[in-house]
Amino acid sequence: MRFAAILDGTLGAAAQQARALDGFLREGVSGDLAGETLVFYHDERDKKQLVELAPTRAVRLIKTTARRPQRMVEILVRVARDQKSPLFLFAGGPAGTELATRLACRTNGAVLTEALSLEVGPQRLLCRKNVYSNHMVGRLELSARPWCVSIDASWSDGRSPISLEHDVLSDSDETNGTGTTPFEDIELVDLPATGDLAEGRFLVVAGYGAGNRDRVERIAAAARRMGAAFGVTRPVAMNAWAPMDRLIGVSGARSAPELCIVVGVSGAPALYWGIEKAAFIVAIDPDEHAPIVSNADAAVIDDGLAVIEELAEIIAAARGRD
Amino acid sequence: MSSLRILVSFKVTPDFEALREADWLAGAAAGATHGVETRYVRRVLNCFDESALELALRLSEARAERGVATDLGALSVGGRHTEPYLKTLLALGYERAARVEPEAALDFAPAVTAALIAGYVRQVAHSDLVLLGCRSGPGDSGTVPFLLAEALAWPCLTQVIEVEPLPDDRVRVACLADDGLLRVTLRLPCVLAVGNAVVSQLRVPTLTDRLARRDKRIAVLSGADMGVDIAGKLSREPCVLTGLEAIDRSRAGVIVGGATPREKARALFDSHLKGAIEKL
Repeated sequence: MRFAAILDGTLGAAAQQARALDGFLREGVSGDLAGETLVFYHDERDKKQLVELAPTRAVRLIKTTARRPQRMVEILVRVARDQKSPLFLFAGGPAGTELATRLACRTNGAVLTEALSLEVGPQRLLCRKNVYSNHMVGRLELSARPWCVSIDASWSDGRSPISLEHDVLSDSDETNGTGTTPFEDIELVDLPATGDLAEGRFLVVAGYGAGNRDRVERIAAAARRMGAAFGVTRPVAMNAWAPMDRLIGVSGARSAPELCIVVGVSGAPALYWGIEKAAFIVAIDPDEHAPIVSNADAAVIDDGLAVIEELAEIIAAARGRD
Repeated sequence: MSSLRILVSFKVTPDFEALREADWLAGAAAGATHGVETRYVRRVLNCFDESALELALRLSEARAERGVATDLGALSVGGRHTEPYLKTLLALGYERAARVEPEAALDFAPAVTAALIAGYVRQVAHSDLVLLGCRSGPGDSGTVPFLLAEALAWPCLTQVIEVEPLPDDRVRVACLADDGLLRVTLRLPCVLAVGNAVVSQLRVPTLTDRLARRDKRIAVLSGADMGVDIAGKLSREPCVLTGLEAIDRSRAGVIVGGATPREKARALFDSHLKGAIEKL
């Protein structure tokens, strides 16, 4: 069965998209599949690097205007009609969700977002994805084709850069006919760096159980002392006890540290999704029945702030950070 | 400036965090047809929808300061359990509140939900701007805003965190894109899907507000009123839930002993962390 993987090179996150698509195609799909990558780009200078990122040998380049998802969908509708690919794969994230959904709508196909895995049959596509706010995995069956699927963001975890020979099958310029846009005065601002959350090897996470802003700030100070990155759960960010860019979990960063210490965290699956790849998880919580205790490798049942401040002293000394 | 018609569509969901582990396991055993038993659990506003409802109030107030009117409406596709929330919104200054009776479980049918909202926009609200949360459980598809935008042939911005009025009925929107914080000026109509906005809590109405607006009525509509054959559309749904799996997240969960926080921290370090810290 044929597929088309979509790499949106008009955005700055192309390498991450490519890693996720590559990982998913290698390990997330069962069934006999062959396909190509459609690479959207808007700057000639990006072309060579984008081709190198493609997760398939066969690549088609499409030049378009940045941030015109509706135009990209029009092009994909034509591709769906001409090439009759039954499966379109998009990287996770808002852009992939938009393209997958709009393409399915306009082709009378079916959309599924944030896929964990796919099983390809002749007439049906069986998918698994997180549902009930990550409390369960749902099995879903897609019938109408084309199947427009975006993949779960976890597929970009710890993937190495792709190393493939590539054949560029075509390079088309679709910048004409872009039409008008309702978006004006577009300004892209770099967000505060959050790479420490996604890539750090030692992470401390404070949850709502920390109690108040002052205590969250003291946990953050303990994390700094230990040389750990500091993240928070959604309720902490929502209460403005810490900046939103420190958010860990489904709506924030996903981390895969060697060591993760969580303080005052109940263990809600939306948070756990963000730390589940941690090699070792320590929970510090006064409630020994909190779900996080059984989902951690080790737990301390006590006041989180008191323990983390003591621990900071010990770890700072061990790491020579006094 | 003319009156701007804003509609906020919201969902009331069970509080999934209040369910026990046994409930999830039972749900997996019961299969997709019955799903997870959530009837006894308290209901909550979907967190992203809550942000959208408060952002719309603030947008309306900002426009009022410029001396221009805003017509605020709220809609929920949901049963009677949505009515206390709709009453609250009327008390907070929403002019109109309506719910569409879903007639069947629509938790995994985003296309039906989007068609009902689109029907309401076209036939009742005649909105210029629709705000809603970027995703909600149990389906967690995140597709409703885009399905709605497709049905209305409107643009859509997602992961919106701020909305402010401009003098000429346009709005300035900030959203978290895949590659940074995007600020965009937008001609309407448009769908805005709200994400991790700092504005996250809906204000609480005073008793005076409630009393002053107690006579305002909630409109209860059917799929037919919206021009949508719910049962027919459900039967043609191209993506169907066929099963549920429980997720085993359990780890060793070894509880470290000690009499004081200091003793426990030392025991934790000596027994579990020393090696890992040395390798960092």
